[in-house]
Amino acid sequence: MSDVRAEEQGADIAPDGGAAAQPDAGAAAQPVPEPRVRRLNIIGRRNLFFALSLIIIIPGIVSMATRHFALGIDFAGGTEITASFASHPSLAEVQRAVDAENLNGTVIETSGGSYIVRYPPLNAAQVTGVQNDLQSRLGSTNVQQILVVGATIAGETILLSLLAVVAAAVAILALLAWRFHNVPGGWRAGFQFGGSALLALLHDVFILTGVFSILGKVFDLRIGEIDAFFVTAVLTVVGFSVHDTIVVFDRIRENLRVSQRLSFEQIVNLSIMQTAARSIITSFTVVLVLAAIFISGGETLRGLSLALLIGIISGTYSSIFNAAPLLVVWRRLQPLR
Amino acid sequence: MQLVLSWPIRLFVVGVLVFSLFVDGAGYVYRIANHYPLTGNVAGLPPNFGGWQLYFHRGLDLAGGTHIDYQLTNFPAGQNRADVQQRTIAVINKRVNSLGVSEPEIRGAGSSNDRITVDLAGVNAAQAQKTIGAVSKLVYTKWVPDSKVTNGPEAGYKPALTGLTGDDISSATATIDSTGTSWVVNIQFTSAGATKFDNLTRENVNACPGDTTTSLTANCAQRHLAIWLDMTQADIDHWDDASYVAKVSSPYDAACLASQTPDKVCGKLLTDPITREEIAGGQAQISGSFTQQSANDLATGINSGSLPVDLVALDVTQVSATLGAESVKLSLAAGLLGLAIVVLFMIIYYRVPGLLASLALLFYAGAVLAVFKVLPVTLTLAGITGFILSVGMAVDANVLIFERFKEEVRAGRTITAAVDAAVRRAWPAIRDSNTSTFITCVILGFIGPSAVKGFAITLGIGVAASLISSIIVTHNLLAIVLTAGGFRRPALLGVDRVRSV
Repeated sequence: MSDVRAEEQGADIAPDGGAAAQPDAGAAAQPVPEPRVRRLNIIGRRNLFFALSLIIIIPGIVSMATRHFALGIDFAGGTEITASFASHPSLAEVQRAVDAENLNGTVIETSGGSYIVRYPPLNAAQVTGVQNDLQSRLGSTNVQQILVVGATIAGETILLSLLAVVAAAVAILALLAWRFHNVPGGWRAGFQFGGSALLALLHDVFILTGVFSILGKVFDLRIGEIDAFFVTAVLTVVGFSVHDTIVVFDRIRENLRVSQRLSFEQIVNLSIMQTAARSIITSFTVVLVLAAIFISGGETLRGLSLALLIGIISGTYSSIFNAAPLLVVWRRLQPLR
Repeated sequence: MQLVLSWPIRLFVVGVLVFSLFVDGAGYVYRIANHYPLTGNVAGLPPNFGGWQLYFHRGLDLAGGTHIDYQLTNFPAGQNRADVQQRTIAVINKRVNSLGVSEPEIRGAGSSNDRITVDLAGVNAAQAQKTIGAVSKLVYTKWVPDSKVTNGPEAGYKPALTGLTGDDISSATATIDSTGTSWVVNIQFTSAGATKFDNLTRENVNACPGDTTTSLTANCAQRHLAIWLDMTQADIDHWDDASYVAKVSSPYDAACLASQTPDKVCGKLLTDPITREEIAGGQAQISGSFTQQSANDLATGINSGSLPVDLVALDVTQVSATLGAESVKLSLAAGLLGLAIVVLFMIIYYRVPGLLASLALLFYAGAVLAVFKVLPVTLTLAGITGFILSVGMAVDANVLIFERFKEEVRAGRTITAAVDAAVRRAWPAIRDSNTSTFITCVILGFIGPSAVKGFAITLGIGVAASLISSIIVTHNLLAIVLTAGGFRRPALLGVDRVRSV
């Protein structure tokens, strides 16, 4: 029943009333070319797409609930020294040298040939001591980076990050409700739009955090560690996801105005089809840029670019296959008027 | 939307272009005029020239250096916390200056003025912490006769601790004296300090009475009170060693004291003024042949002896200059690669409009970088990522317009009408989506953790600029180019067929 027929669309996306005053209004007299929009029935198969999302989200949530996250140093606190050695020792040799210090240090090898040594929080004298010690055990040492994060700052970073995510979500809900309250149905419809966008956004956040929980805890990969950069990624994904969703919703709003004859489902499906090309093209360019950063951007930016890649792909998916279908479901459960 | 094409708007765009060229150009003009190399770091390049920034402010993760967040504890009771924080910052500044750091950044932070953030380029963490955290203790000494002493400020006398210390001083300030001609340092004692100081000055005057300016006998060693930093009883016990005395009596040397080892002797003397009269009431004035600089130095020296709080390092970040340079190279490469990919894709997919959008993108990048220089925005790794992402967002607005343009052409509009309709109809989506990103950025900028703030600032500026770039610049370029008939060919516009007018 929600199938969209081509003839109806062609007629309804023709110029609106305002355009009639323009010189090209005669266009209507000519045969209108068939819109080259491929028609997939996304709304009709919405449960399939919801299920597809849940296949990724549920293991992610299970992993988050049972295994939590691998925390980077800015969240966990501690001391982290990144160094390379002129003698190019093996991982085992570095670990032996660190074990001999009796400071509970652990060693990770990076792809660039340097080592990251992690300790519990150390004071200034201890940090100097550790450097001298490594130098005496392993020879000429080039210290690239030292990070010492106390428990206070680590706690604050976590709190501020959560606060920022929640505040951004609330602000976006409010903005969307306000922007879309002028569709037929008023504020109630506005909140349906805002709420659906928010759910799609939560979908992306859960996919991203879930995947990282799995990467960090189930597969024990260092790239799965979450830190302040990860929070940056989550918030960017929130921005992009809403970006995509707004474009679809904006088209729904416009089509609701110009075409009175289509059902709500048909309008939503038509709008998705009309905007999908743009969503995919934009995401494609961003994905290309991110892939460039991921491959050539070095150790520090690799985690960030991976998170953004996952999030933006998820965001594009959710804006096409989740946000608008959710709006249809919501409209059915809570009809206007 | 007719307004978009009007001349004032075009003039605005040209104005922004000239502005960004000038901001970027000023640096090159300055370099050429002074025979500096055109790229790279030049020692001695001032941070700005005629009000224009000459280079980007690089964060410590790119420049290399040390960042420390300090928690201030043990605030003195009954004093304004903001004042205490400012005084502490002044003291840290003074100590850091002895390291010779260029552009040290020492800022107050914390909701109740209880944090200080220190950014030092090119200094390692151990050195920085030693210098800043060094606990200097200011002591007053009087002079007692000792025939074995042959040199020092008062030959024949050795110092004796008086019990008057930095804890008894509430502040020292450099000002111009009442005659308005010479610089002096005013010291304000606490009430306990005032009593001690009154007793000491009375003893001074009683030791050899008279007017110090007219009577020769009044000017005796016991009428002096010396002020030292970090002077200990152990130093005084060495006073019969002439070479030791010579070293320890030289002017206070913060850098030496910061790297002090047990067998190294550093200068510890601040000043050794004569007492003209008994001073009651807790307000003393040190005069002499001060310059503004030396008076300030002495005041800061006295204040740094009375560091009002304890400093606890909350977090420390040290990045080596080589890692910073590596990060700059990698992020530049990533940015340029990203830009190249986007430009290539846009031109292949959208043809002439894509080319115009790429021109708009260059305009956009130039304008944003100029804004970064002018404000100035301190660029960090996260900040550069924000900027690269904002390029993606800037492209998005163009993609929205071009997809709409194709649709309008397919719906049978002429090209000129299709351009206007595309911009008009894409505008709500562009506006709303950019607003949502901008709001996210503002929220992050205010409440995000510090690492995230740099990202939020560059992305926020980028999003604002991309609105101008896409709507005004792309639209105008399209309108200008499409008035020339040669470009109205379907193949060049990336559409199937075009209705002839």
